Amino acid sequence: MHTIRNSSSKWIEQAAKASGFETELTRRGFLKLSVCAISGLAMLGLGEAFGENAPLVILDNAKGCILADPTRCVGCQRCELACTEFNDGRAQPSLARIKIARAVNFGLTGPTGGDMHGDWGDGLLLQGVCRQCPHPVPCATACPQNAIKVDPQTGARVVDPAVCVGCRLCQRACPWGMLSFDEEAGVATKCFLCHGSPKCVEACPAAALRYVPWRDLTRDGSSGRPALSVVAPEKAKACLDCHLPAGTNAAK
Amino acid sequence: MAVRSGGFAGKVLRVDLSTGKIGTENTLERYAAMLGGAGIGYRVLWDEVPAGTGPFDPANKLVFAAGVLVGTSVPCNGRTTVTTIFPTCWPKPLVGSGHMGGHFAATLKYAGYDALIVEGKADRPVWLMIRDARVEIRDAGHLWGSGIRRTTLEISQEMGADCVVAAIGQAGENQAPMGMVVNSVSHSAGGVGGVMGAKNLKAVAVQGSGAVRIAGDKGEWERLIKFHLSILGGNNQHVVPSFPTPEAEYYNPASRWIGQPGKHWGAAKPPVAITGNIHDPNRIAYRTNSAAYFLGDEAWKYTIRGNGCTACPIRCHTMLKVPSVTAKYGIPDTAQNTCVALQFGRLFFERLAGRKGGEAAIEACMVGMHLADDLGLWSNYGQLQRDLRKLYEGGYLKDRLGAKEYASIPWDKYENADPAFLLDLIPRIANRQGELGEVLSRGTGAIFDHWSIPEAQWAEDRTTTYWKMGHPKHHANEDDGQCGVIINTQYNRDAQCHSHTNFVRNGLPLEVQKKLAVAIWGSPDALDAPGDYTPANVHKAKRAKWSLLRKELHDALGVCNWMGPWAASPLRERGYAGDDSLESKFLSLATGQVMDREALDRAGERIFTLHRALTIRDMGQVNMRAKHDIVPPWIFEDTSGAAPFTKGTIRMDPADIARAMDLFYAVMGWDKDTGAPGKARYAALGLADVGETLAAAKLTPEEGK
Repeated sequence: MHTIRNSSSKWIEQAAKASGFETELTRRGFLKLSVCAISGLAMLGLGEAFGENAPLVILDNAKGCILADPTRCVGCQRCELACTEFNDGRAQPSLARIKIARAVNFGLTGPTGGDMHGDWGDGLLLQGVCRQCPHPVPCATACPQNAIKVDPQTGARVVDPAVCVGCRLCQRACPWGMLSFDEEAGVATKCFLCHGSPKCVEACPAAALRYVPWRDLTRDGSSGRPALSVVAPEKAKACLDCHLPAGTNAAK
Repeated sequence: MAVRSGGFAGKVLRVDLSTGKIGTENTLERYAAMLGGAGIGYRVLWDEVPAGTGPFDPANKLVFAAGVLVGTSVPCNGRTTVTTIFPTCWPKPLVGSGHMGGHFAATLKYAGYDALIVEGKADRPVWLMIRDARVEIRDAGHLWGSGIRRTTLEISQEMGADCVVAAIGQAGENQAPMGMVVNSVSHSAGGVGGVMGAKNLKAVAVQGSGAVRIAGDKGEWERLIKFHLSILGGNNQHVVPSFPTPEAEYYNPASRWIGQPGKHWGAAKPPVAITGNIHDPNRIAYRTNSAAYFLGDEAWKYTIRGNGCTACPIRCHTMLKVPSVTAKYGIPDTAQNTCVALQFGRLFFERLAGRKGGEAAIEACMVGMHLADDLGLWSNYGQLQRDLRKLYEGGYLKDRLGAKEYASIPWDKYENADPAFLLDLIPRIANRQGELGEVLSRGTGAIFDHWSIPEAQWAEDRTTTYWKMGHPKHHANEDDGQCGVIINTQYNRDAQCHSHTNFVRNGLPLEVQKKLAVAIWGSPDALDAPGDYTPANVHKAKRAKWSLLRKELHDALGVCNWMGPWAASPLRERGYAGDDSLESKFLSLATGQVMDREALDRAGERIFTLHRALTIRDMGQVNMRAKHDIVPPWIFEDTSGAAPFTKGTIRMDPADIARAMDLFYAVMGWDKDTGAPGKARYAALGLADVGETLAAAKLTPEEGK
């Protein structure tokens, strides 16, 4: 293990703030931050000070996120098509990083015949958008390759296709089902906020999408979807630096 | 590595229900010259369905075809053309197409197919499952007898919530010529439901995870898409708003661009107010509200939102919530549709048909939409409703129906404009129950055949809007004088062409339209104001040709001829010009193979001419002019006696229409006497084989005279 050089409590407080966990972790917990955790703080300019191959655990929050208003969505899927055509040169809703097609017919509960949304239900169309989750970021934490990183410009959680090996664990880890898989390239892909100018927002003919300063949308509602959480052992170990197992004496 | 073309999905799926054989063909190898849509459909019928095949014969084929631009974000794509021997064409079924929007076409492309050819007949009810490369014929025994809503639900449970189901209801199962196929709640293709029923095919359900590629530069593609969005108007490409606003130089109360800031989607929770600049590309979806346009201003309060086809920002399928109908009529409180299908129920009632607004009218619309889209019954562009009214009001039914059956129909509810009348009438037709149900289920021609009513009693009565061959007018002389008349002579069903009306009714002042006409058709005389007509001229004939070719082209590309072409725009800075080359620019970028406007229009002409050839072959008649391209007598009359070419009348002059047809045949390069293409014309369009076959059968002008 590397040692933390010139570690200061100021940095750690900053990290805690960035991750949205300042109220949930004790300061003592943060003092236990190892190089593994700190190396995720690239946004703070700290990353280079620490080991290069250390697992990513804490990602800085995104600067913005896409906010979707279901009452305005008209189900045209122009956002999905703008996402893939303008970024990938192909029209492919299954690849889109905003998800409409799955909710068009019946909403997310499916063809139950009950209180359905979507075209066959009450008309409400619940758009699927990436929350750009705060720490712990489910897709990034689940990635055994550390292929999901923070885009320095927007703070978006992005898949590095050069690192992704196509195991699809991130797809199973996202509680909101927002990871897509590019079958042609064999890699996962997700919303990267189009480097700060989201194509989907620009494409919406009903002003149902807005790009707004980030807030924690994961606290709204329920994902309605169990997520598979598999954490690679090195990462789990890094987590323990802050989150001490029950019964452990924190004041070692 | 093989160069992968863009636009086309690349394969055509062929399913033989008799043998269970499922196979694919290479789209570009077999159908490149026909692009897609009805082009593929006509080619299949020409090559594989012999003359004289009946619509419900197993030998008839059903071609569901998307188009080259379907599945992309080109605004207003998403159309499926369903081509077959069309059962409501009277007195003899001939080639025709039903068209549907919704999400079927795009999903078929994502599954990897440009078209689906269904042939043969299953020995038991089946449905077709298409999940990308996996295609299966599955048992539909449990679905047979169910409405489209339940069928869709059960297939979606079996296949997954994101599948798109195109299903028939009871009308189609009963092989009613007036049956239709419906996908995505309310997007229907008329006339082809019974053909599916005859094949024992309850539904086609599709899931697609693949892509439609854009071969050209994606930046250029994005710019062209944005340009197209900038020249869009409201529904039917009406390019000026219906209301005065400082944001627009012109307005026109007849425009379908009615989304005035301050209006609300009143049934959204909470209601959504229309705000902002009317030209804002992020507010295009608020411009159109078909319900408010057709049913009156009060429909805004029932509006949940706009809906429509994949990739279309216009959203002409207005979604309504009318809570009262559930308790009163036992139907869902939510429904959606556009134009005539939206008014399916209201139009049956003499008292409601011509009136906007009122609770009964809205409720009748809700009941009608629900029943039509669940039982799968087509309106034949409102002819079904006009037929029922004429049959009842004209005393035909009292005279002809048995007393017992006549008394069993709740005519008091009809008289009182009670929507509950529809709960009795529409299932009668879909189930072909009794004499009335049976006759109406077969279309207008059956009225003439079954009750020995002379066709002239319809064709002479302008209130029927009956045109010919069992079908009504569709944007004829009421919109566009001789141009509308010419267009309405050409098809074997209602004309379904909007290229012409979308221009003359776009809301711009006549002088602006005339300026644009010079650039596109070479003369300001190419059009008149509706109801203020001047004699026929060659420029009008050219515009009629342009309109027909663009209609066929739009079907082949899968873009919506209810919205296109985009010859005008709302942009003052462009002098209100649209872009007449838009289709070719999109096609060139999508496929990566440059095709200019002229070449693409020639492809449209090839497709249109093949339709002509099929009609000639199957009628066994070369003299189209006398036997096919006919007009109803009512267009030559005016109830107030106004003379043709006086302001305020749509009355046409017989000699002038004859001249208009002369001019049209000339610009088409067809024989003036017969209105038929010669061998050379077929050959010039790449249809030499078609010309030779027809010549051998003495069905070209030179051989047939």
